Amino acid sequence: MKPAAFEYHAPESVDDAVGLLSGHEDAKVLAGGQSLVPMMSFRLARPAGIVDINGISDLDYIRCEDGVVRIGATARQSALEESGEVTGCAPLLAEATGHVGHRAIRNRGTLAGSLAHNDPASEYPAVLMALGASVTAVSSGGSRVLSVEDLAGGHFLSTALGSDELITEVSVPAQSGGHGFAEFSRRHGDFAVAGVAAVVSMNGSGVESASIAAFGGTSPARLDEAETALVGSDGGSSAVAEAAARAASQFPATDDIHGSADYRRALIDVLTRQALQQAIAGAQEV
Amino acid sequence: MTTTEWIGARAPRREDPALIRGRGRYVADINLPGTLHMAILRSPMGHASINSIDASEARTMDGVHMVITPDDIPDHITQFPVVWRLPGQKDSGIPALAEGKVRYVGEPVAAVVADSRYAAEDALDAIDVDYETLDPVTDPEAALEEGAPVINEDWGDNVAIHHVFAGYNALGECHYDAEAFDNAEVTVRGRLKIGRHSGIPLETRGIVADWDEIHGRLTVHSESQVAHLFRTELAASLGLPETAVRVLTPNMGGGFGNKWDRYPEDLLVSIASMELGRPVKWIADRREGLMSTVHGRAQVQEWEMALQSDGTILGLRGKVINDLGAHLHSVGIGPAWVTGAAAPNQYKIANYYCNVIAAATNKTPASTFRGFGGPEGIFGAERMMDKAAKRLGMDPAEIRRKNMIQPDQFPWFNAAGAVYDSGNFPACLEKALEAADYDRVRAEQKELREQGVYRGIGISSYIHVSGFGPSPILGYLSYYTGGYEGSTVKVDPNGKATVYTGMIPMGQGTETTLAQVAAHHLGIDMADVRVVWGDTDQTPYTGFGSAGSRSNVAAVAVIRAVEEIKAKAVRIGAGMLEADAEDLEYADGMVSVKGAEEMRSVSLAQVAQQAYWAHALPEGDQPFLEATYVYDPPNFTTASGCHVVVLDVDTNTGRITFRNYVIVDDCGPVINPLLVEGQIHGGVAQALGGALLEEFVYDDEGQLLTTSFMDYLLPSFTDVPDMEIHHVVTPSPHTDGGFKGMGEAGTFPPGAAVANAVTDALSHLGVEADELPITPSRLWSLIQEATR
Amino acid sequence: MAQVAITLNVNGRNQTTLAEPREILADVLRDRLGLTGTHLGCEHGVCGACTVLLDGEMVRSCLLFAVQAQGAEITTIEGLEENGELHPMQKAFSEYHGLQCGFCTPGMILAGIDLLKRNPDPTAEEVRDDMGGNVCRCTGYQKIVESVLGAAREMNEVTS
Repeated sequence: MKPAAFEYHAPESVDDAVGLLSGHEDAKVLAGGQSLVPMMSFRLARPAGIVDINGISDLDYIRCEDGVVRIGATARQSALEESGEVTGCAPLLAEATGHVGHRAIRNRGTLAGSLAHNDPASEYPAVLMALGASVTAVSSGGSRVLSVEDLAGGHFLSTALGSDELITEVSVPAQSGGHGFAEFSRRHGDFAVAGVAAVVSMNGSGVESASIAAFGGTSPARLDEAETALVGSDGGSSAVAEAAARAASQFPATDDIHGSADYRRALIDVLTRQALQQAIAGAQEV
Repeated sequence: MTTTEWIGARAPRREDPALIRGRGRYVADINLPGTLHMAILRSPMGHASINSIDASEARTMDGVHMVITPDDIPDHITQFPVVWRLPGQKDSGIPALAEGKVRYVGEPVAAVVADSRYAAEDALDAIDVDYETLDPVTDPEAALEEGAPVINEDWGDNVAIHHVFAGYNALGECHYDAEAFDNAEVTVRGRLKIGRHSGIPLETRGIVADWDEIHGRLTVHSESQVAHLFRTELAASLGLPETAVRVLTPNMGGGFGNKWDRYPEDLLVSIASMELGRPVKWIADRREGLMSTVHGRAQVQEWEMALQSDGTILGLRGKVINDLGAHLHSVGIGPAWVTGAAAPNQYKIANYYCNVIAAATNKTPASTFRGFGGPEGIFGAERMMDKAAKRLGMDPAEIRRKNMIQPDQFPWFNAAGAVYDSGNFPACLEKALEAADYDRVRAEQKELREQGVYRGIGISSYIHVSGFGPSPILGYLSYYTGGYEGSTVKVDPNGKATVYTGMIPMGQGTETTLAQVAAHHLGIDMADVRVVWGDTDQTPYTGFGSAGSRSNVAAVAVIRAVEEIKAKAVRIGAGMLEADAEDLEYADGMVSVKGAEEMRSVSLAQVAQQAYWAHALPEGDQPFLEATYVYDPPNFTTASGCHVVVLDVDTNTGRITFRNYVIVDDCGPVINPLLVEGQIHGGVAQALGGALLEEFVYDDEGQLLTTSFMDYLLPSFTDVPDMEIHHVVTPSPHTDGGFKGMGEAGTFPPGAAVANAVTDALSHLGVEADELPITPSRLWSLIQEATR
Repeated sequence: MAQVAITLNVNGRNQTTLAEPREILADVLRDRLGLTGTHLGCEHGVCGACTVLLDGEMVRSCLLFAVQAQGAEITTIEGLEENGELHPMQKAFSEYHGLQCGFCTPGMILAGIDLLKRNPDPTAEEVRDDMGGNVCRCTGYQKIVESVLGAAREMNEVTS
């Protein structure tokens, strides 16, 4: 389990980094490396070149500006846990971060890297979908902004990014309403067998808006049918149950050694209820 | 601590100071000058013939020193043998490389030796193997069917053995009575499955071989749990005289039985070092560790229990099908045999019959793993006890009480040939129930269920036939090694002692334990005892080493060697004190005239000095103050106990949450309570892994799906509950000190205790947790079926 | 393969070694710098045996190329002893029998130290939650939890 040889590059600017990526068909971006390095050790990934962006110092930031939390590509996940900006503006993101791996992993792992890797059992893509987040992707041809839903939704261990593009920033609009997060994993800190993230806002007559996304299936998925069932309802237990049932049927469930598709759908039902109850309770406090 | 009462003391471990500083020395830490590194090309397929291997490109790559394909192995090299060869068992060995075909994913096909492990792995990529797929067989029951693909052609079929326990006890009496099953008021049947899992020491296997051409000596740095037997077998397989081989075993990062066996890589690094004249090192990475270190436990069991309606057991019979994997490994079908011998457990079952069938499958060979078939037998017995109780509407505790062997019934000759030397089974059960507050928990269970909390209580009693073992009995069982353990104790001219043992410390604190025993019996400070282990050039031969919970056997060897030293010290002291030896006694490191200890005594150091000066030795005594004793135990020692687990089941997710875990253990007198607690904790955690998390999963093609720790799940901090340990002490009547083996006992009852508790929690649904591991997904499916 | 010069400050001392860029930090610490107290149990970031402190933060040294640690400060198990005095966490592991084979121990001790840095007075449950990224195959964890709690008491006594 030793990685194959590669050319190592440590650019000091985004321009240099994307230049290297555009000149290198088979180069990979190395940020936290918590997924890439083990894949290389198993020789499941054999990039000819590694573009290590950790030396680009102006990518390590977490800021809250104009109601948007902006997280640079090399900001560590553990920094999200401790960031007042994140706990204040996007508490769902802070809560979910506590479920990502273990502290030693979060000390290196990055939010942007997790998105770019897009493991379907990973918390972040779904959480960021629920939060309506987007990323800035830069290539030598310029930059563009993609919603996380477009970036990661429907993809399995891949994204809509081109091989020459680098995510430089994740931007998360300040969470409006209460949030809920529930996941089921075999062991504490493991990738989830299934999980649900939700943001719900309430008005005088009931649920005003709902954003629900799930993970642990074939790809991270926004569950719009569940959202439709919930919005306009009173947010009571029968509405939640209906939304959960729709979430379960819409969820792109899959079989693997940790559970069957049927089992995953049943989990999504239970977890959606938990997440929505938490979110609605939170929204009512707001 | 200023005491000479070392036995029973919570003495801190002498292993610790190096290990907590990161100064342990494991095989991977040994970097001899000029070392080359080996990597192994392994079969990616479960069953295939090998048409050709083209290594020509790999041989020319930078940094590559040697590629070993089957054609590169010298003709005189032979396979490692199977040590336990029961009559009727098929013959096979452990080859260095697959010969003509591969039989499991992970089987070694070729090896590369290069300047670094990185370079060696690069060269693996350049070896081209032409495989031709053969039909695989992965299910042990399917493997037994007519027309199943045959894995080992020379066997003719996939049956490694069909061994029958026909109900004979060690006295030669047979009480098997088939009619009793037909005529019984109640018969209860069960079909049980135990998943494939294993010890998975955190330190993978590894080996460094260093051939010294000039002296004709092969020094091997290994983690073998049985270094001397390894030396014997390695020398034989390599065609070397045994004097040419020295095995050194440094610190071991856990063994759990898995490192008792011999492995292909042991031959490959030796062949390479002898060919290249340089040290060659191979350390398993985790992926190859999971696919090539022996697996264990996998069984399908079918049982039938006959009872009177009052709960009295009239008989137990069944079939155990062992999923052996591709071929026999070092201990043959031994674990499955032990399952058959252990299944009568703590109960008065004379009417017993068990068919043990070992089936070859296209999977990694299954062999030695802590517990060695015993936990499987206890799982069968204790699940059947609960099934019977449920059928009869009895409390699970009551049916056990009713059938337990009583304290005055020892020695007990169980109907599978085992002899239990001692125990107090009812006391263990009652103490466990009391500690778990059984009656209160039972009462609460009803109330909680009404609130939607599904709480279950599981009991599992166990016996562990430990302290392997009397050599004549091993001979009778066709186990081709001895069960004795030797110890040499030397007192140096300054009165300090050194103990030499063939036991291999793998984390269980052997060094501390034996130092305690020696210090206690010599009556000196523990700090004045050194223990030498891990070098076959220095330590007494052992054919068993660290396996079978046998520190107790080694401890007796130390005690008896010390007794010989003390007797000699008294003889020498007699001359020094000008007294008759009969008037002297040895106590607290002093030889004294009885009744005049203050006035007329000499210290061990003074005696030792005389022993080495040899100016005036007693007639017939030689210089030096040392002795060797080789202890061959007259019987096994029977450890026993009872676990009670309380847990909750979330019926929506299949998640299990522990509420209480109580252990009562009877391993006889305890040498070091700290270490005993640690062994029990660790054994239970390992068994809970097998009960809830750990499983090697193969697909129908024989592909292993669990080749990383993302898929093969070890229990972590939050998966193992706090445990409460109590002791019942029933000394073994036939060993000095009464010690019983205890290193494995923790692994015996958890599987059944958890399954019984889960079944109990879901009794309203009729769910029977009969398959381990009870994963959330599996349990959820059972709940779905039951509620459909 | 082309090697590059890597300078690391390990346990307070600058050390320069040549290594290929693909060499993981754990291999460089162990095989090039001779610090074999950092163990490799899985090489894919699950077991925690290779835990070290990188610029004061706990990381897996199997998930990092050594070249990435250029110029960084690294603390390994060998660097905990100060002036011949063991760290209280090391002492506690021995006192409470928090180790058996010792293979996970360096990582466990470092993870315990890191936990107490963030949470000086944890509950047993917090210890179990926080240290879940480190696997032990021998102890069943209970005595590791006791060790960390014991070290916390000891360290809190000293500071208060």
